Amino acid sequence: MNNVDERLAKCFRLVFPNLDADQIPLANAENLSDWDSVAQVNLLSVIGEEFDMDIDFEEFEGATSFAALAGRLREISARA
Amino acid sequence: MRLSEALQINQQRVLPNAGNRKIHLVCGFTPLHLETFGLAHAKRRFPAENVNITSGLFGDLEGNLKRAREQPAEGAIVVVEWSDLDDRLGFRAAAGWSSSVLNDILQQVDGKIYRLTQLVSELAGEMPVALIAGTLPLPPLTHLPLVQTSSFELQLRSNLIGFLSRLAVTRGVRLVNDSTLARSSPYPGRHDVRMELHAGFPYTIAHAAAVADLALECLFPAVPKKGLISDLDETLWKGILGDVGVAGLSWCLDGHSQAHALYQQLVASLAESGVLVGIASKNDPDLVSQAFQRSDILLKATQVFPIESNWGAKSESVGRILKAWNIGADSVVFVDDSPMELAEVAERHPGVECLRFPSDDPAGIIELLNQLRARFGKSEIREEDHLRLQSLRSSAELQQSRSAEASADFLSRLNAKITLEYSEAPSDGRAFELVNKTNQFNLNGRRYSESEWQSYFRAPGAFLVTASYEDRFGPLGKIGVLAGRSEPEALLVDMWVMSCRAFSRHIEFQMLERLYKRFEAACIRFSFHPTERNGPLQEFFARFFDAGLGQDGLDLPAAAFVKCRPQLFHQVIESSHE
Repeated sequence: MNNVDERLAKCFRLVFPNLDADQIPLANAENLSDWDSVAQVNLLSVIGEEFDMDIDFEEFEGATSFAALAGRLREISARA
Repeated sequence: MRLSEALQINQQRVLPNAGNRKIHLVCGFTPLHLETFGLAHAKRRFPAENVNITSGLFGDLEGNLKRAREQPAEGAIVVVEWSDLDDRLGFRAAAGWSSSVLNDILQQVDGKIYRLTQLVSELAGEMPVALIAGTLPLPPLTHLPLVQTSSFELQLRSNLIGFLSRLAVTRGVRLVNDSTLARSSPYPGRHDVRMELHAGFPYTIAHAAAVADLALECLFPAVPKKGLISDLDETLWKGILGDVGVAGLSWCLDGHSQAHALYQQLVASLAESGVLVGIASKNDPDLVSQAFQRSDILLKATQVFPIESNWGAKSESVGRILKAWNIGADSVVFVDDSPMELAEVAERHPGVECLRFPSDDPAGIIELLNQLRARFGKSEIREEDHLRLQSLRSSAELQQSRSAEASADFLSRLNAKITLEYSEAPSDGRAFELVNKTNQFNLNGRRYSESEWQSYFRAPGAFLVTASYEDRFGPLGKIGVLAGRSEPEALLVDMWVMSCRAFSRHIEFQMLERLYKRFEAACIRFSFHPTERNGPLQEFFARFFDAGLGQDGLDLPAAAFVKCRPQLFHQVIESSHE
């Protein structure tokens, strides 16, 4: 795991405490019943705290998997 | 607290046998992070309990208040924002801001506030309520430039203040202080417009954390400290009494010693609210006595007991004051300007909280005043708070007089009067307070939340007895509480406490004497449990049980009680309230 993935996994552990560590990289809103709209807002808020950024919800629209979120975060960090 | 920290705390599991604490979070917006922080702060306060926070439906504050009332809980946090008074005062509605709309908003807010006042009052009749309102900014609704306040906004604020003022004097409602909130959550950092529009949650994470923390503190306040011990030189006043003399001491603007005046003012105010104030000073006692006679002193000698002025160690003075007050060190704060004296007292009395008087930092005094208010502040001042100091002085006189006379003779000449009040309703705030703060003469050390207290007296046959006392040395006020249940096979006593100020007067014997008679009980079953601190209660029972007290429960037959109780001399007045 690279640095973004590790930090993102930490956010997942906080919002989805019942998720096994090896399941985190595979997690998405389809296969995880706890991942509802409230969990999405919680997750993005924790990501905002972890990555010290103001979350633009529209920028993360549709990012409902670990892989998609990691991808968006890498894009943002590349732009910065 | 950060959101990640709150989520981590919320994941901590509690033992399966732990008690449950349910708290309602009542608001009209999505509770989201406010609920997360509420749970985290509650879990921190009650780490040995299973805490559960329930919230309601989006946009239905009134309905949420009604539903909360129907579900018993330990308390409710009620949050009212402008958009709860009228959608058009929030940022998620767009219905125009014309003058006719603004007039309509004012009318709607009037009606809404009327209904909310009713609903919050009704909820507070069932459980304690912490209320917080209007923490967010209003949108720019009027034609005025932002620098100017509109009559419309003032009318809205006036309505809100009227609402809060009415509820501030409603039993069971505690308002979160807006100035305190502003210190932990400054106004510009409160509103998260993006989150409000996206998720219906209007608070920044920092504001949600601050609101949750203060609301819970308001709902479950810490037990206030009971006594303040203060140094004199460079603390209560500026100057060294032995060097500058009484006239050379100062506490005023002209003497560049206003910090000491502010401190005196606060200590006097604490004394007035029933806080015990003592002095520990390395000084000449005669000079100290003269200094307290100065007409401009704000803390009067009559508000202080005892004054320990001598040349011995401060810790020894503090020890004598604790003995005179008969309270635990952990209920006491010691204030001195000298770090060395503070360290010496802290080493000998680790329970005493030691605070430094910032004699070299005028701004620091404000922080000290806030710290003292935070530790000694209480929601309600009772008659007993005014009597406490006088009764301690009386007790000291009583002990002195007693040592010169045989005990029974002495007690027979006290002209003691005990008033026993029996009731079936738990409306007595003093009784609740005594049960929850008394350690030494306490049947089992059990503490009750407000809802547990209410629920106890809903049981069939439950009763409450309070005892007030006075004698020729003065009144002690309400000093004893006993609660139990009258059941067909036995009289059960589940709570029994007596203030330590009332020891040595045989009040406890008289309370039981009357209880046996009133209920015609052949035996009383006490829910006794020994604790580390209820030695005086154990000592009381030991005289009736030669074989020892055991760990749980005591049955005391009336005959055994009468055989072993001393002769009683009180005049007793009994009354009943429904």
